[in-house]
Amino acid sequence: MKIKKIGLLLILLSWINFNAVANPSNSAPAQLQLELTLKQQLGEYHPPYVASWIENSQGKPVRTLLLWREKAKWLKDIRRWWRKVGKKDADFVDGITSATRAAGKYPLTFLAEDDQKKSLKKGQYTLFIEVVRENGGRAILRQPFVLNNIKSTFTLAPSHETDEIQFAVLPQ
Amino acid sequence: MTLKQIIAFTLTCAISTQTFGHSRWVLPSHFNLSAEQGEWIMVDITASNETFNVDKAMGADLVRIITPDGEPSRASSSYKGHRKSVVDYFLKGSGTYKITNNSEASFITYYTIDGDHKRLSANKTELVGKLPTQATAIKTTYRYARIESYVTLNAPSDNFKIQGKLLELLPVTHPSDIVEHEKVTFKFLFNGKAQKDVAVEITADGVRYRNNPQTLTLRSNEKGEITFTPSVAGRYLLVAEYQEDTPNSPLADQQMGSVFLTFEAQLN
Repeated sequence: MKIKKIGLLLILLSWINFNAVANPSNSAPAQLQLELTLKQQLGEYHPPYVASWIENSQGKPVRTLLLWREKAKWLKDIRRWWRKVGKKDADFVDGITSATRAAGKYPLTFLAEDDQKKSLKKGQYTLFIEVVRENGGRAILRQPFVLNNIKSTFTLAPSHETDEIQFAVLPQ
Repeated sequence: MTLKQIIAFTLTCAISTQTFGHSRWVLPSHFNLSAEQGEWIMVDITASNETFNVDKAMGADLVRIITPDGEPSRASSSYKGHRKSVVDYFLKGSGTYKITNNSEASFITYYTIDGDHKRLSANKTELVGKLPTQATAIKTTYRYARIESYVTLNAPSDNFKIQGKLLELLPVTHPSDIVEHEKVTFKFLFNGKAQKDVAVEITADGVRYRNNPQTLTLRSNEKGEITFTPSVAGRYLLVAEYQEDTPNSPLADQQMGSVFLTFEAQLN
């Protein structure tokens, strides 16, 4: 009985594996479109430090999409991203760094891949956008989404650091 | 009285007779830092029952900073004021630093005379000639207090070496991963072994501006662990105490360890 069950399991596992390999359309990563906005502010203005990343359903970060920053000293202020991702790997941080941006609208496109450029599996994820500004505040936006070959679009409500943000998951 | 009321009353007495001493703490300027070329921190040192407002200066001579490679180092400079001492320290490399201002282990004998409670810095063998002959309620305690905090520069490390002496706190949740709304677990050891029934109090910063200090009272379980969830981001002081009788010791009637840990719960 037990051996039969194990046999069935093995057949099932190899079938899943076969499907993943043989059916490339299944594993082609979805496109993630993010129209990021940084709010126009009054008074003294320092361009904010921004990180955007994806966590899986267990809250484990699987992909950092972007990091806009200047001095390392202030990286810690991107609190959640620094705690979960940044502090652990200096080389990785250097690799994804780009310069800060002024207030405005930034259309960006990514593939639904992890940090090792492997397609993210079907399932539930959360998009995070964390924005911190010297002499300003911190905003953290969370948008749950599902990867399941279905197109979905989201509008993230404005915060004190961001205007309305559009996010779309487009299967290919 | 019903049985329930008796139990409730007994519990209240048990809690109110806990003998937490004067709080002491080290308060670092930062708990988590990012830097490519190292970074300075400053640390406040004080004895105060008002978390985290300074009260009485404690010297900084005993301050040791355990570097991520496990070596003790000293502050680069210090200043002693009337309300606090402050030290300066440069974190050179990445990792977790343990800041300690542990007391020296000592014997103290409490006694009562003419209704007054008094104390002597002496063990049981040193009492002859020092202790008044009419003294009653004589009790000698061997005690040691650990006053500590953790600061992490870039990647955290497990700088949690255990000494096996009286009460120690072993972080299960890494101090740099403590965050609001998420469970935190700490483990207590007494003379190197997991210890249940350690009395723990956790108080958030800002007691001066709250009518109710909102102190969380806990006891360690069979595994020596406590688990709690910080409801808000901020700085917290944990005070833990455990004592046991030492009937076989010629020097003391009991031994007592305490831990004062300062930690930060980050924004999630």
